[in-house]
Amino acid sequence: MKENQNPMGNVYVSHRAIATIAYQSAIESYGVVGLAAKNFAEGIAQVIVRDPTLGVEVGFDGQKIEIDLYIIVEYGTRIKMVAESVSSNVQYRVEKTIGIPVDKVNVHIRALRISDTD
Amino acid sequence: MINTEYKDTLAINGQTFKAMIAAALTWLKTNQQIVNALNVFPVPDGDTGTNMVLTMQAAYNEIQNLEENNIGKIAHAIAQGALMGARGNSGVILSQIWRGFARGLDSLEEMDASILTRALVEAKITAYKGVVRPVEGTILTVIKDIATTSEEIKDQDHILEILEILVQAADKSVIHTPELLPILKQAGVVDSGGKGLFFIFEGFLKFLRGESLDTSSAIIVKPLELMEGNELEDIEPGQDFEVIVDFRPSKSFNLDVFYADLEKMGTSIQVGEGDGIYRMHIHVPTENRYMPIDYAMTCGTITKVYVENLLDQMENKGKESDQPLSLTEVEPGQIAVVAISPGKGLSKIFASLGAAAVVEGGQTMNPSTEEILHAFEDLPTDKIIILPNNKNIILAATSAKKASVKQVEVLASNTVPQGLAAMLRLDPYSELDEVYEEMQAALSEVDTGEITVATRSVTINEVDVKEGQAIALLNSQLVCASETIEGACLSLLEKVDLSERERFTFFYGANISNEEVNHVIDHVREKFPNIEVELHQGGQPHYQFIISIE
Repeated sequence: MKENQNPMGNVYVSHRAIATIAYQSAIESYGVVGLAAKNFAEGIAQVIVRDPTLGVEVGFDGQKIEIDLYIIVEYGTRIKMVAESVSSNVQYRVEKTIGIPVDKVNVHIRALRISDTD
Repeated sequence: MINTEYKDTLAINGQTFKAMIAAALTWLKTNQQIVNALNVFPVPDGDTGTNMVLTMQAAYNEIQNLEENNIGKIAHAIAQGALMGARGNSGVILSQIWRGFARGLDSLEEMDASILTRALVEAKITAYKGVVRPVEGTILTVIKDIATTSEEIKDQDHILEILEILVQAADKSVIHTPELLPILKQAGVVDSGGKGLFFIFEGFLKFLRGESLDTSSAIIVKPLELMEGNELEDIEPGQDFEVIVDFRPSKSFNLDVFYADLEKMGTSIQVGEGDGIYRMHIHVPTENRYMPIDYAMTCGTITKVYVENLLDQMENKGKESDQPLSLTEVEPGQIAVVAISPGKGLSKIFASLGAAAVVEGGQTMNPSTEEILHAFEDLPTDKIIILPNNKNIILAATSAKKASVKQVEVLASNTVPQGLAAMLRLDPYSELDEVYEEMQAALSEVDTGEITVATRSVTINEVDVKEGQAIALLNSQLVCASETIEGACLSLLEKVDLSERERFTFFYGANISNEEVNHVIDHVREKFPNIEVELHQGGQPHYQFIISIE
C-alpha cells in the first residue's frame, strides 16, 4: 500500500492499482505484444496473460516504487528500443497518475512473438 | 527548373528508390527541428525528429553502396538497416513500416502503382501488429491513412501523381491527429511521428518533382499549429500586441519580401499556409499594432484579423486566479455548510471539503449578518450549519441564524483549523443535530497556531511584545514574540503538547514571500522530524501563517 498525503487525510493506492496502470501503459507501448506470467515455475511464460498482476510486479519501499514488467515483444523490432520505450512510458504514466516517484522499471523480455516470417 | 524526368514514370526500380530514400532522409533532416518542436510528452519520446532521422540514416547507410536494381532487395536492405538503427519509439514504428513495405515488394524488380499500394497496405498491417493497443492520432494513423488513400486511387498509374495524392492525404491525416489524441489538442500541436512520416513522403515527392531539398519549410507553419492562444511565452519588450492576420495573397505575393517587411515591424514572426490562405503571426509594440494589418492589405485580401493585448494577458496570468469556487451542490433535505474564509486559498480548501457556500471575511473584515444570510438563503435546503472560523464572526453568524426561517446551527469554530477539522465530520445526509454534535466534537481535536506581526507594544499573558515583532498565538492566546517569523513559529510549536500530535498543516498568508515560506517550512521540518508538515496557500491577510496542529 502506498500512501499519499493530502490536506485532510491519507490516500492509499494498492499494488494492484499500480500494476493495472503499468499494464495499461505497457500494452500501449509500441513493440509490446503482451505481458507474460512472471512466474516461470508455472511454465506458462509463453501464455499471454490479461490479468495485470501476472505480468507486473510492484515493489514499494515507503518512498519509491519499483516495477518489474514481464513482456512479450514483436519479433523484428529493435528490442532494446522497445524496452526503453516501455520503461519510460510506464514510469511516466505511473508517476503522473499516482504522484509517487518511480525509482526503477525493470523490463524482462520473456518471449518474442513471430507474427510473420520475412 | 522543375525536373520532368519522372513525370510519366509508371514504375520505380531499385536505384531510383535508393535516390528517393536519400531525398526523404535529406528532407527529414531539413525539417528535423520542426518535428522535434512538436513533442508534447516530457518523457516517452525525447526528440522524435532526431530519432526518425537517425533511423532513416541507418536505413540509407545499408543501401548507400548497393548497385542493386531490384527494388525488392533494396527495400529489404532498408528494412534491415532501419531495424538495426531504430532509435526511440518513432524509430521502432518506422522500422516496422519499412519491414512491411519490403514484404509487400517481396523480390520484385520494379514497383508500379498496384505494387506500391500493396507495399503500403502491408506496411500499415505490420506497423499495427507491433502493439496490442494501437494509439490513434499517431504515426500509425498516418500510415493507415496513406495506405487507405492508396487503395482508393487504384485507377491512377503515374507514380508521381499518386505520390502527390498520398502526400496530401498524409498532410490531412497529420492535421487531424489532435482530434484523435486529446493530449495533442491540449498542447496545440500535431503528432510529431506522423509529421515526420509526412516529411518522408514529401521528400519522395520532391525528388520525383526535382525540387530542392535543402530549403527548410521551417518558417512555414501550418495554421493549426499557430492557433491563437496556444502559447503564452514570456513577453519581451516590444511585444505588446499579438496580431494574427489571415489573407488570400495576391498574385505578386512574395514570401521573402513579406518576411523582410514584417521583420521591420515586430518579432515572433510566423507565416502559415493552407488552402490558398496565408496566416501571419507577429508580436509588435503598441504603436505598431495596426501596421501588420495595413501591410497585409497590400499583399492580398484579408479574411480575418485577431489582435490581442499581450501585456494585459500577462498581467491577468500573474494575478491570483479568479476562478469561481467549485462549491458543493446540495439537494433539498441535505445539510449545507456555510464557511467564512479569510483568504482565497482557504476558500478553495473549504469548497473542496464540501462547503456549499463560502463567505470571504476574517480578522478585520468581518462579514455582516446580511452577507452571511445572503450566502445560504437561496440554497435549496433548509438545514444549514455555519462555520464562522473566527471568534469575532460568531455573533454575526448567530444573528443570521435568528433572521432566517431555515434550521440553522452556528458551530463555534474560533479558528480556521477548527473549521477545517469540523468539515471533515460533515455528513450531509444525516440529521442536523447529530452532525452538529459530531462537528462540535471535532473542534477540540485540533490546536491552532497563528503567526502575525504586532501592531503595538503590549504585555499580555506575561509576554512582552514590541511593535513590529512577530507574535504567535496558540488557540487564540498570545504565547510568544520573536524578531523573526521563523522564530515565532518554532517557539509556538515547542509550546504544544506533541504527544498526540502528528501533523502540522501550514496555511501561508498573502503577506509573506514564497522564499520566506520555504525557509520557515524547512526549519520546522528539520526541528520536528517525526511530524508530517504540509503546506497550503491560505491567502489570508494579516496572518503570515495559520497552523493546524492535529
